[in-house]
Amino acid sequence: MMYHLRQALLAMRANFTATFSTLTTMTITLLVLGAVLLLTLNVNRTLEQLEAQVEVAAFLKDDANIPALLGQVKLYQGVHDARLVSREQVLAEMTRDYPYARDAAALAGNPFPNTLRMRVERVQDSRRIANIVQALPGVATVEYGANYVDPAVKTLNAIRTAGYGLVALLLLGTLFNILNAVRVAMFARRNEIGVMRLLGATPAFIRMPHLIEGVLVGLIAAVVSVSVLAASYLELAKRVAQLVPVFPIVTDLNTIAPILVGIALLSIVIGLLGSLFATSRYLRELE
Amino acid sequence: MIDFNHVTLEYPVTRTLALEDLTMQVARGEFIYLVGHSGAGKSSFMNLVLKRALPTRGEVRIAGEPLSRYRGRRTPLLRRRIGTVFQDNLLLHHLNAYDNVAFSLRVIGVPQREWPQRVTTALRTVGLEHKKQALPLQLSLGEQQRVAIARAIVSNPPLLLADEPTGNLDHENSREVLKILQNVNLRGTTVVVATHARELVETFRHRTLTLRKGRLVRDDPDGGYSL
Ligand SMILES: Nc1ncnc2c1ncn2[C@@H]1O[C@H](COP(=O)(O)OP(=O)(O)OP(=O)(O)O)[C@@H](O)[C@H]1O
Ligand SMILES: [Mg+2]
Repeated sequence: MMYHLRQALLAMRANFTATFSTLTTMTITLLVLGAVLLLTLNVNRTLEQLEAQVEVAAFLKDDANIPALLGQVKLYQGVHDARLVSREQVLAEMTRDYPYARDAAALAGNPFPNTLRMRVERVQDSRRIANIVQALPGVATVEYGANYVDPAVKTLNAIRTAGYGLVALLLLGTLFNILNAVRVAMFARRNEIGVMRLLGATPAFIRMPHLIEGVLVGLIAAVVSVSVLAASYLELAKRVAQLVPVFPIVTDLNTIAPILVGIALLSIVIGLLGSLFATSRYLRELE
Repeated sequence: MIDFNHVTLEYPVTRTLALEDLTMQVARGEFIYLVGHSGAGKSSFMNLVLKRALPTRGEVRIAGEPLSRYRGRRTPLLRRRIGTVFQDNLLLHHLNAYDNVAFSLRVIGVPQREWPQRVTTALRTVGLEHKKQALPLQLSLGEQQRVAIARAIVSNPPLLLADEPTGNLDHENSREVLKILQNVNLRGTTVVVATHARELVETFRHRTLTLRKGRLVRDDPDGGYSL
């Protein structure tokens, strides 16, 4: 084993350019992957919070049968909770926010209708529920928060998809780089490999240094990219927390650690798979 | 030890007929020469024995086992039982004589503690015990070839193939190499030597097989070079 490790290190030094370029692409790939994953994590967290707050508001006519409506909407699927806010309560709320509303009400009477406020379980449901509620007797108009949530969700989804696409391309590039690096390394050793085969070396013996090389490159890329990711993310999180305290950025280590560990494992697995593939192809060509 | 049964070898890429309907046996412990003009098929014979080429027709057996039994992953096991020496000695130039010979043991997984004794014995057999530390480039061609022989025999293979082992050597060194191969043979190893060197074949007489354009045209038990 020590022999194979020494051979792997020698090969990496001898083919420094190929090794270094593999290492670079691999690290960049992992960085982008990490960035996309962490972004997704935060987007999801934010959406969850938005979803928890999204309400559908039904403004009722004066003659509406309030208890019947309340009972009915509570039965709808996707409605988390429904409650009545009377026109007096609405006025009180408005007065709290805009004190002159009371003066206006004193002049013209309370302009606010009785309102049913429904919490929906998922943002996507709000449009459907709004449409159903709109059709009920006694309902004048309906408003829902998805008007602003929708575009946000779409934009973030698009960014996420583009990110994954980029990662897929980069992974492919990384894989080709590894294949190439291993080939170069094996080609440099071709005399030795020829002698080994003649002396009765098993394929496993011949490829071992290259597998170790693959795993080592994966390991180094993992260490570099995970450290950079962790450091820069935590720094970014701190800044965001200071600048935009309401933004629910994830700083919980129990959530972030598995992502980083996953990235590191992926890196090692790619290194191993790449070299497995390259060595078996090279050895097959010799057969 | 070696058993060719109506073996034909046509290289698939160039479609050259290298060996045609070759039937011959080499008994355990024999020493034979394989002679013939350039392109007669001597190296092709070696390639078949080593399973570097597959017969187009016919069957090759080594120690009674058909080579078709040594599928894929078992090919190395076959090669471990065959020592090989070529005209180009194929020594690894970054390793000294000792390490080149030990390389053979490393490759087949012999424990390191056995190396010093076995490598030393092999180098003594070829008369180079005192050149252990020398790199190939610090050795004469004859000495390099002797290191290659040491590497081929250090694993005690029952069969030794030498393809033009003296091709690059002068008279003196050629005779030296031949004597070493005979000594190896005397210890029980079956030896096959492919060669052009008439002088050697006539001096050190052994059974001689003559190939011409891939066909066996002579099998002379008492030796002698006649082309
Ligand atoms: N790998 C190969 N692919 C295709 N044709 C080959 C290959 N090796 C040898 N040949 C052809 O097969 C024939 C026999 O070649 P071989 O090497 O066996 O001859 P040889 O007796 O060893 O000759 P020499 O004395 O020059 O070494 C030749 O015509 C050669 O061109
Ligand atoms: Mg030849």
